[in-house]
Amino acid sequence: MIEIANLNGNLGEFHLRDINLKVNKGEYLAILGPTGAGKTVLVEYIAGIYKSDKGSILVDGEDITPLYPEERNIGYVPQDYALFPNLTVKKNIAYGLEARRMPSEQINSIVSEMISRLKIEYIQHRMPLNLSGGEKQRVALGRALTTEPKLLLLDEPLSALDENLRTEMARKLRQLQRDVNGTFIHVCHSFEEASDVADRIAIMNDGTIIQIGTLKEVMEAPKNEFVARFMKSQNIFYGLSDGSTVKIGKTVLFRKNPFKGDVLVVIRPENIAIVENENNKGQNVFSGKVENAKRKPYFTEIAVDINPPFVIYSPTEKKYNKGDNIIISIPPEKIVVIEKSDS
Amino acid sequence: MSGKRRNRTIFNAFFYSFAGFLFLYSAYLFLSNLDQLFVTEAAIKTREITDIWGEDREILNQFAGGFWKDPYFWKSLNLTLVITLITTLIATILGIPTAYALSRYRIPGKSVVEILFSSLMVMPGSVVGICLIVMFNYGPLWKLQNLLGFKFAHSIFPGMVIASLVLSFAFGMSAWKATFDSINPRFEQVARSLGSSRWRAFRTITFPLAKSGIVAGIILAWTRAMAEFSAVLFFCGTFRELPASRFSDLTKFLQMDQADWVSVAVWAQVEFGNIEYGFALAFVLVLLGGISVYVMHRIGAKGYVW
Repeated sequence: MIEIANLNGNLGEFHLRDINLKVNKGEYLAILGPTGAGKTVLVEYIAGIYKSDKGSILVDGEDITPLYPEERNIGYVPQDYALFPNLTVKKNIAYGLEARRMPSEQINSIVSEMISRLKIEYIQHRMPLNLSGGEKQRVALGRALTTEPKLLLLDEPLSALDENLRTEMARKLRQLQRDVNGTFIHVCHSFEEASDVADRIAIMNDGTIIQIGTLKEVMEAPKNEFVARFMKSQNIFYGLSDGSTVKIGKTVLFRKNPFKGDVLVVIRPENIAIVENENNKGQNVFSGKVENAKRKPYFTEIAVDINPPFVIYSPTEKKYNKGDNIIISIPPEKIVVIEKSDS
Repeated sequence: MSGKRRNRTIFNAFFYSFAGFLFLYSAYLFLSNLDQLFVTEAAIKTREITDIWGEDREILNQFAGGFWKDPYFWKSLNLTLVITLITTLIATILGIPTAYALSRYRIPGKSVVEILFSSLMVMPGSVVGICLIVMFNYGPLWKLQNLLGFKFAHSIFPGMVIASLVLSFAFGMSAWKATFDSINPRFEQVARSLGSSRWRAFRTITFPLAKSGIVAGIILAWTRAMAEFSAVLFFCGTFRELPASRFSDLTKFLQMDQADWVSVAVWAQVEFGNIEYGFALAFVLVLLGGISVYVMHRIGAKGYVW
């Protein structure tokens, strides 16, 4: 198990602040955040590239904070894979084992097994410069996994791949993690990618971790406006709560909540339903005119003018036109009310 | 003929004519005067010049039958090659770790050091020479020399090494630092995460990748040291006319006594009116420089150095 407690680091212009994180053995954690959030820096601190100012990193109970990278047994796959250009694929994969001065027969057998597991026999004698993005990624994974690290850090491992390959490689990555029962930390900035691979996700911004949880937890109960926006909750409004209803614009939503006064209201677009029956007069049912409707691959994105305007994802193939009158229903339990913070 | 192809042909024609012109010009500059190398009666020709100056400089024209018969020429060549070799070795041993540290570590005042080295490269040798004179004639370095009992200035060793080292080191280091800058530090970081020590990561990854850049730096340091003129002249002066008693036994044994740094010898010969001898020395310097660059390129390119 990996436990990071109160980790602080100062890199001149960038600061890592109070990082607290627990990753269980065999767990796949994705760290998500916008560019410049500090995801890569955090990974570099865990790998030992930088020394922290404060806090500790414990791996299976052992404090590795004062150790050099070579003493940590933490695998690291950087964004550009950093395959050694002067060594063949096979030599790259054997590098960590050679550093441990293993007998050459043992190195050969481990490397051959890894090469066949990753299905890269056909490139084992090639130089890294001539490999495709997917091949490079598999070699980098193989190189990091041969040393059986206690934790594998993957810094945006899929960002160099095209979209189709990315989904396929994400699936393979997840499979590989299960096969080796490894503990993986995977940095990315897309929650689609995180949802493909991770058991849990950690949202990071401005050098600190804001929220950790399963994808469902983070999507349905964002901790603050940043997380809500990052998770693409399109309906985010400031409102006024009296404890049982929340008023946003001219609309009053029924939703019991513990706050009174200014609040933030978050409703995911896929949680709003279009009601066909005009006689439906339940709670949180509103009618409005379609402002805009765009067909996306698996749903239709509809903007409806109900003061304030809402965005809805409709899974049906029904065509909506500008000016159409529609009725929407918002289940109270799907409305997230967050106390408004000064930030 | 397609437009692109025509453009390429025009470009090639322009490039080859330009390169050809440069080559012919350089060849003309040196080869057209080759006959000067074989003049045996230089004293007669230079008489007019010494007359104009109104000084008797005949002493320097006493070689007979060509410059290669003059021990001064061979001793000067010997001196220059030995000191250049020592300078290049020192520049390499000090420069590579310095360049690596400047490239990889966060050092306080790093930019000041970088600016200092870069500005040295654009400074005339005479400025370096005068700075050395001042530096070694005052303050702690002066006291150190008094303590050691000998003066660095106007000495073959360490005087000439110090004078030729300044710019040699600056040029070599610029190449080595650029090389280390161009190598992704992630390679070493990943190597270390795989269990390699810092030294093993450098030895197995960075060093092989830096090979050609390191050779380029050595070539620069070697040629820059050999071509140094003003700094050596300012700091060390000339040695030919000094009495033999002023030279150590080691210097005499190495056949480096009563000789001058070749580029200084070129100037001294021309200064004393012996233009042919000066040209001969210059020609040898050009030849030596060319051969050095060629040999090091070959060695570096084929990886024979390591």
